[in-house]
Amino acid sequence: MTQQPLIQVKNLDLYFGAFHALKNVSVDFNAGELIGLVGDNGAGKTTLIRVLCGIHPPTKGEVFFDGKKVEKFHPKLAIDQGIETIQQSVGLCDNLSIARNFYLGREPVKRILGIPFLDFAKMREKSSRVIRQFGLRENVSADDEVERLSGGERQSVKIGRAVEFKNRVVIMDEPTNHLSVREREHVNELAVQLKEQGLLVIYITHDIFQVHKLADRIVIMENGEKVADASTDSISAEALEDVIRQGGRLVEKQEAV
Amino acid sequence: MALSAAKPVIRRHTEIGIFLIGAILIVIFASTSEGRWANLYNIGTIMQVTATLGLMSLGVAIVIGTGEIDISVGSTFGMGALAHLWLAVRVDPVFAALAAIVVGAAIGYVNGWLVTRTKTPSLIITLGTLMIFRGIAIALTDGFSFSIPYAARNGWTYFLLGGGDLLGFNTALFWLIAAFAVLIVVLKAMPFGNRLLAVGGSADSAHSRGVRVDRIKLSAFVICGTLAAFAGALEAGKLGFADGSMGRLMELQAIASCVLGGCLLAGGRISLIGALMGAFVLSSIQSYLVVTGVQPQWFILILGLIVVGAAYGDKSLRNWAIRK
Repeated sequence: MTQQPLIQVKNLDLYFGAFHALKNVSVDFNAGELIGLVGDNGAGKTTLIRVLCGIHPPTKGEVFFDGKKVEKFHPKLAIDQGIETIQQSVGLCDNLSIARNFYLGREPVKRILGIPFLDFAKMREKSSRVIRQFGLRENVSADDEVERLSGGERQSVKIGRAVEFKNRVVIMDEPTNHLSVREREHVNELAVQLKEQGLLVIYITHDIFQVHKLADRIVIMENGEKVADASTDSISAEALEDVIRQGGRLVEKQEAV
Repeated sequence: MALSAAKPVIRRHTEIGIFLIGAILIVIFASTSEGRWANLYNIGTIMQVTATLGLMSLGVAIVIGTGEIDISVGSTFGMGALAHLWLAVRVDPVFAALAAIVVGAAIGYVNGWLVTRTKTPSLIITLGTLMIFRGIAIALTDGFSFSIPYAARNGWTYFLLGGGDLLGFNTALFWLIAAFAVLIVVLKAMPFGNRLLAVGGSADSAHSRGVRVDRIKLSAFVICGTLAAFAGALEAGKLGFADGSMGRLMELQAIASCVLGGCLLAGGRISLIGALMGAFVLSSIQSYLVVTGVQPQWFILILGLIVVGAAYGDKSLRNWAIRK
């Protein structure tokens, strides 16, 4: 590919204490591409995207966004760059209402004498309208605490939020967890739509068959290493599953562009 | 049943417990003290104690909201009182109160900086600073106390900073009301409050949404230190006197006020009005013991018993409200 990758990860290493979570990982992510990031539990998928969205600074290696080297890692900076993430285990504060969670960190304000006050009307109206598209029941109000929601509804808050604030990159970590069959299809369609709008979509899942149907490219991780990186045109889901099962390797030669 | 209709309200409002306890105690105190407790003069005294303890409790509640704790506030209170009294005579009461606020903010900053930088539990850090600043207060005063001469106890600045009464209440009470009004707006209606409670609810989730968790915690400690030191300044203004032991053990009362008032120590859920009610209840107990002639050395013991009883009662109420 001749275009410059939107996100370029080069020789990334990450240690949690003595634990080597990411081992010399290099991947290119292009705008307008839907990439399936696949692997077993503990393979390093979530860790890798948590570097991209600023939660974990890498121990070694480099990340380039839009050709510029990322010097500082913080979720705020990633969000400001246009990276929106549907996290798997974090992202919602149980003690806050849906509306407050929806806008956490980017609260709309009305200024009175220059003092920023929360724009409650907008927070309520917009958040419930967006989230209802993804399975929030009619009888749940935007003022209800997230604690009271079911797993699927919690997921709908995260998905709705990512869609509302989508900008250049949407990362989805197991987005269909807790969702009904219908909602799953909806989310998968959404992932494709976002890609077609020119966004980079990184879709993390265990399910190679599901993501093979959606993705342009599949990256497989295992034990913190990238073990496969192939376009879905060039290899079948079955073949990729064999790679995972056998703990093998299938890495296309990727020279730096 | 009317009682079960109250369940959702109790679930939603963690401060209900302290209001019930307060109501029960008021009835008991008023009916058993032969008018010595429930009279205007004594209520005024209770309000004055509530004002300074309440200011401290509001600050502690803010820190608890982030999931941390500040137990150094008793010493911060003492440092504020000393700073205020030392400068009120030499310079001017307003300048002195501002200086006390700066001292408190600085102590809060030290606490917050240590907690966020070292990632050490705030309980241990502020236990340390509790001793450090108490030590400084004692060393600075060299065991002596100092006071504002009677001749200097006048002027509107002296009056406003705890030295006088307005509408029958010490001016400190009006500072408490003002601080409460500002904090409740900040907490409920401003982005900072949203982020503060988010940090207490789940620091990881708040972080993942781009909230600068450490900055929020640091700000909370600064607010807490500021309020504690200002409370100390008002207390010094009221008494016209300060020594190195001012505010000793007050941190325990402030934390008790918050917890009884429905602030969850794990963070994320606090009630400022509950914390104030907690401060009022504790001050009332103290006053009751005084007016009924119980020797003051029993205060801490009785306070402890009531705190344990109240905490148990509150928990039972909560469990009852959670049941279908």
